[in-house]
Amino acid sequence: MTKAIEIRNFSYHYPDGTTALSDITLSIEAGERVALIGPNGAGKSTVLLAMAGFIKGTGKISIEGLETSNRNLRKIRALIGSCLENPEDQLFMPTLFDDVAFGPLNMGLGSEQVKARVTEVLRTVGLERLADKAPHHLSAGQKRAAAIATVLSMSPRIITLDEPDGSLDPGNRNNLIKLLNSLTQTLIIATCNMNLAAALANRVILLDKGTVIADGDSSTIMGDRTLMADHGLESPTILYMKKQQ
Amino acid sequence: MHHAHIDKFSFGDSPIHRFDSRVKVLVTVVFTVLVISLARTSPAIVACYAVGPFTILVLARIPLRFVFKHILLVSPFVLVLALTCPLYDKTPVAVAFGPFSTEMSLGWLRCFTILAKFVVTMAALIALVSTTKFADLLAGLQKMHVPRLLIIQLGFLYRYIFILIDRIHRILRARAGRKLRNLGFKAELAVASAMVGSLLSRSIDNACNVNIAMQARGFDGKWRTISRLKMRRRDLFFAAASACFLAVMQFIALRLR
Repeated sequence: MTKAIEIRNFSYHYPDGTTALSDITLSIEAGERVALIGPNGAGKSTVLLAMAGFIKGTGKISIEGLETSNRNLRKIRALIGSCLENPEDQLFMPTLFDDVAFGPLNMGLGSEQVKARVTEVLRTVGLERLADKAPHHLSAGQKRAAAIATVLSMSPRIITLDEPDGSLDPGNRNNLIKLLNSLTQTLIIATCNMNLAAALANRVILLDKGTVIADGDSSTIMGDRTLMADHGLESPTILYMKKQQ
Repeated sequence: MHHAHIDKFSFGDSPIHRFDSRVKVLVTVVFTVLVISLARTSPAIVACYAVGPFTILVLARIPLRFVFKHILLVSPFVLVLALTCPLYDKTPVAVAFGPFSTEMSLGWLRCFTILAKFVVTMAALIALVSTTKFADLLAGLQKMHVPRLLIIQLGFLYRYIFILIDRIHRILRARAGRKLRNLGFKAELAVASAMVGSLLSRSIDNACNVNIAMQARGFDGKWRTISRLKMRRRDLFFAAASACFLAVMQFIALRLR
């Protein structure tokens, strides 16, 4: 069976020669929820960018069997929805409606189909009443939900999220967790927040200095306090949270 | 956030707010062209034209204090231009406005006309942007076949100017927090240029990330949007009323010439 994501011996160096990713090999099945954890500068965001074909390195990356070459990029970006770290970068249109409609319009959908899809997605993320608002009038939590809506409107099979809970208060973080837990797509979340990783992911991939240190069940890896401390991380305090939900 | 006041009135609700943006843009452009083309020595007729934008502002419940504050903000350039007129044209002329009459130099008369034209056209522009959501304004311009590249640039400017303003505020606050004494002109200049440099490099980073976000959502160089503008009967009525007002004003201007 074709894997959702397959990375084989992938390496990437920044233009100044610094190694960002070194010989990464991993695969993710469809429907899995995977957290990429690691300290700052571990290469989590770079892995997400590489998956969507935004950076080219050595090695091989395929998304649902399609290699991330230039000729496949359009197909790959229809399959994989990338949510960037800063929602301000994700929301670039004058209104929320236009922002959520941007992707579906580029996919070639008709106006009525796009309107229906935008309405549905905004309802899913709880922002249906703010469709005509300018992004700078949204709160941090609303911006984060809006950024996810821009991706959901394209109905991707895989969603990548880079530090999705950055600058969110606990209330908004819980709303985000509920929203992400309600999605059925393959989810890949890059985060330094172990509580978020524990609440969302069944599987954890620990990265440090551009290499995969550990890959496995989330409670096993994040429960290993020594391993976590060795890589500048700490075990989550709410490992039980996902079970409660 | 320190910028909420800039466009807060455009999200209001009044009959003026509900008019189609294309009609408002068209009326504002024609109004501005007509006011600018009035004789340079006719402040009285310019004052008559002021009835238009100020009526709109009052009907749209835009505080006049807000309007004059913004006119004042951009006035220095025009003030310099206007105040040079009395210096080079001192020909005395008789001026009458209704029952009042006086004598002044032609330079002063031109100065008052320039200032009056500035205030009236600025009031019209503020009336337009304070009663029209920017997104509708862009949609209107797009429907009016304004070059797409210009519309995209305006859209990005509107979206990111607020982030830039916030960032400037944060940088200035950080600087104020650590600046415990006057550093002298040269050192201040060095600090200011470092701040501008930091803003520029962060803006470039932002631009790269926005580009990634656009490509991730299938952007291929073609700008696609859904227009939600609809021309209704009330828009045609507003256009007709504005045309009548402008025709009357032009008639008065020709009679007074």
